Amino acid sequence: MSKNEISDSQLVTLYKNGDEEAFSTLLTRHKNRVYTTIYLIVKDRYVAEDLLQDSFIKALKTIKSGRYNEEGKFLPWMLRIAHNLAIDYFRKEKRYPVVVMEDGSKVFNTLQFAEDPIENKQIKMETHQMLRQLIQELPEAQKEVLIMRHYMQMSFQDIADSTGVSINTALGRMRYALINLRKRMQQTNITYDQNLYRK
Amino acid sequence: MTKTFTENDLIRYVYGETSDLENNEIESALLCDVEVQEHFAQLTEITQQLNSVEYLPSENTVKTICERAKELNLQSIH
Repeated sequence: MSKNEISDSQLVTLYKNGDEEAFSTLLTRHKNRVYTTIYLIVKDRYVAEDLLQDSFIKALKTIKSGRYNEEGKFLPWMLRIAHNLAIDYFRKEKRYPVVVMEDGSKVFNTLQFAEDPIENKQIKMETHQMLRQLIQELPEAQKEVLIMRHYMQMSFQDIADSTGVSINTALGRMRYALINLRKRMQQTNITYDQNLYRK
Repeated sequence: MTKTFTENDLIRYVYGETSDLENNEIESALLCDVEVQEHFAQLTEITQQLNSVEYLPSENTVKTICERAKELNLQSIH
């Protein structure tokens, strides 16, 4: 059986028992999701890279010390570590996430994209870039729920518990986040089309 | 048929957090209620687009993590 067919839980056990390749597979499998979650919170490429390292190293030490006990749910555990470190970063720096306005687009432009050979890369890149910008422009409470539910895969109940609101409030924030994103995407696409097809 | 679920329930459905009973109700509405179909299509469209938002860490960072994993492995052997 190849490493790619093995569950996260089995890979953790293999690494704990000395198989380095098992960890490499885990890292390859989850690094982009963890990095995306961190980046959406800190909005700084270099800080996100540091926090990605810290998150995985913290996870490695926990696994090696025999304290890992997540009943096979490696990714949600990993994402919680990353999220906590990202929040700690803001507390230590006495900085809080702020909405990035139009000038923030320069930061996004320097980042790499995931490749998809099937679709038209140019159009997809523009859509991704637009959506990433729009996520950053969401009101903070909506962005927080969106990141926690969509990227960290936390349940709405867990989000409600950890943010100190009711589940209906968490759901309401998610609903408005999705509605806002869709509306803004449509508006941007309409403007784009009008510019493209203007006579 | 009277719709008994809310827009929030539909979001829970999209994220797989509804019970079997709620699933049956929502899926029945999806078969015959154009408004629910439209709303569902909009939600799935934007959530699929969110899935495609991905940032990639640099190769150097990934390499550093692998090296640390190797070091920790060696430490635990000795």
